[in-house]
Amino acid sequence: MDTDKLHMVNTPRKEMQFMDNKMLLGVYDNPDSTYAVTKQLVKGGYDVHDVYTPFAVHGLDRVMGVKRTRLSIAAFVFAMCGVASALTLITYASAIDWPMNIGGKPSLIGPDYIPITFELGILFTAFGMVGCFFIVNRMFWGRNTDVIDIRVTDDRFVIAVNIHENKTDVKALEGIFVTGGALEVRERVKEI
Amino acid sequence: MSYESPIRETLVTGGKTYADVTNDILRPLEQKATKSWWFGFTLSALVLALWIGATTYTVMVGLGAWGINKTVGWAFDITNFVFWVGIGHAGTLISAVLLLFRQKWRMSINRSAEAMTIFAVICAASFILSHMGRPWMAYWPVPLPNAFGSLWVNFNSPLVWDVFAISTYFSVSLVFWYIGLIPDIASIRDRATTKVRKFVYNFFSMGWNGSTRTWHRYEMISLILAGISTPLVLSVHSIVSMDFATSLVPGWHTTIFPPYFVAGAIFSGFGMVLTLLVVGRVVLKQENYITMGHLDAMCRIVMLTGSMVGLAYITEFFVAAYSGVEYEQYAFINRAFGPYWWSYWTMMTCNLIAPQVFWIKWARSTPWFIFLMSIIVNIGMWFERFVIIVTSLHRDFIPSSWSMYTPTIVEVSILIGSFGLFFTLYFLFCRYLPTINMAEIKSIIPTHHADHGHGQAAHGEHAKKGDAVHG
Repeated sequence: MDTDKLHMVNTPRKEMQFMDNKMLLGVYDNPDSTYAVTKQLVKGGYDVHDVYTPFAVHGLDRVMGVKRTRLSIAAFVFAMCGVASALTLITYASAIDWPMNIGGKPSLIGPDYIPITFELGILFTAFGMVGCFFIVNRMFWGRNTDVIDIRVTDDRFVIAVNIHENKTDVKALEGIFVTGGALEVRERVKEI
Repeated sequence: MSYESPIRETLVTGGKTYADVTNDILRPLEQKATKSWWFGFTLSALVLALWIGATTYTVMVGLGAWGINKTVGWAFDITNFVFWVGIGHAGTLISAVLLLFRQKWRMSINRSAEAMTIFAVICAASFILSHMGRPWMAYWPVPLPNAFGSLWVNFNSPLVWDVFAISTYFSVSLVFWYIGLIPDIASIRDRATTKVRKFVYNFFSMGWNGSTRTWHRYEMISLILAGISTPLVLSVHSIVSMDFATSLVPGWHTTIFPPYFVAGAIFSGFGMVLTLLVVGRVVLKQENYITMGHLDAMCRIVMLTGSMVGLAYITEFFVAAYSGVEYEQYAFINRAFGPYWWSYWTMMTCNLIAPQVFWIKWARSTPWFIFLMSIIVNIGMWFERFVIIVTSLHRDFIPSSWSMYTPTIVEVSILIGSFGLFFTLYFLFCRYLPTINMAEIKSIIPTHHADHGHGQAAHGEHAKKGDAVHG
């Protein structure tokens, strides 16, 4: 086994997508083995395409080297947009466009604007962030996805490793899968 | 993976595996509708027909169909509105606040509680529309450029704040609920046997594939949605309370209103959650997921929030006495001993006194009794709003304007009918969507390792019969 040939982690993902999309899948029935095997594979330099699980397995993302999502930054930006929109609208409507004399009170009153500003901040955050979430995951209504194995939404955990012709030692990979407690190991082609 | 404290009772009993969870929770969706479902649904739909009839009559005839008069301009309509909005709050509290506090028992009940939130807010919104008398002008509180002399809405008015608060609350709750549903909708999609079912659930699953990268982002947005929903839920009922508190009406003009309304909302919401789940867990055979431990925890919250509300009632009295304002003092004496004394004492009994039984362990562990108590809480909280609104208004500043309010049959029909609207939606939800968040429940049950040893697996050996495999 030539371990040098296994180091595919640094290959840019875009390039690989067009190279091949043949994968070896290890199917597991519990998160602990899935976690352990994923860790071992990443350490061993295999190109772990993704791990599919029925629920969020904590720590798996870190082991896979998934970078912390920037959705929280997006949320903050949207919140500020909401706040700015609300303040602009209220100030324009009640102090610039048509100031109303209500009991002789000034038209531009700070504290009264807090509730709507707050609500719009929340509204923009929720919709903006969730919109971004759908965009980065390429999720939209009616999308037909190629599910790796339909049991991953029930009770199975699937580790998918990209196989590169002449580079990935499939035998060794199978060995790791099986020793790690895989219920089933198989190859499949996935359209990415 | 995660540390489980041995002191805590297990959250899911019966030694369930992941597959058991899916099977148990999807059973009501995948089998033919049961007789009890048809009975409940038909009954709700009939009551809904009453609501449609009474609301249509109101819209056609006008608000003269109601018992309101010059002095009591708000009565059943706003009572029902605040009642339903309050009920909605428990859903957000359970899913958002308990998520931030890492209370894992929320996972069995958050889905149905959030559904309850959405349906309750729909009911509440219907009262806003109907109380306008001319619902086709419902867009007037929205700040739109218009041809009425460029007049904008009054941004200093809590009623305008309320429009923003309720619509934000409804839409954010809906988004939060839907985000939670997506992985479960994907589970249904992948088990679907009929074409229609496959198409519909595939459509709404948005191509969910269970990828760890997606889960990573999903966890992040769930946390942020919970983080923003928590102040949102507090703000919504605070703003609802400001509809009253910023006025000069004695009995309304008090600074205690926002926290007192929020506590009341949580109280009534948990009352309704208990009403639904005590029955639902038996009918849907979910006793292993919604355990006595869950009911116990909810009863404790009911007791706590009931006592908080009771404290607020007493504080209001004290503040009125201490303020030295005779109008304020009269308003409160009139509440307790005036013509509507019976509604005041119903409220006090149901909200302050009755929940104290939950100090006793028996009361918290007897389902039929919990159900009875949840109904009492619902009644009490409805009366609380009635007391606040009607008894404060019916004695005006000028005694010549004093009047009494009696609801008409139309108003009573709308109130009863709104329960039809609520339960029709709830029954549809139970039939077509999983009432428990499967993905979350699976993350808290203990892992069951397959009993075969390592190294025995071979290609496709363990694929179960009937388990379709892609690729």
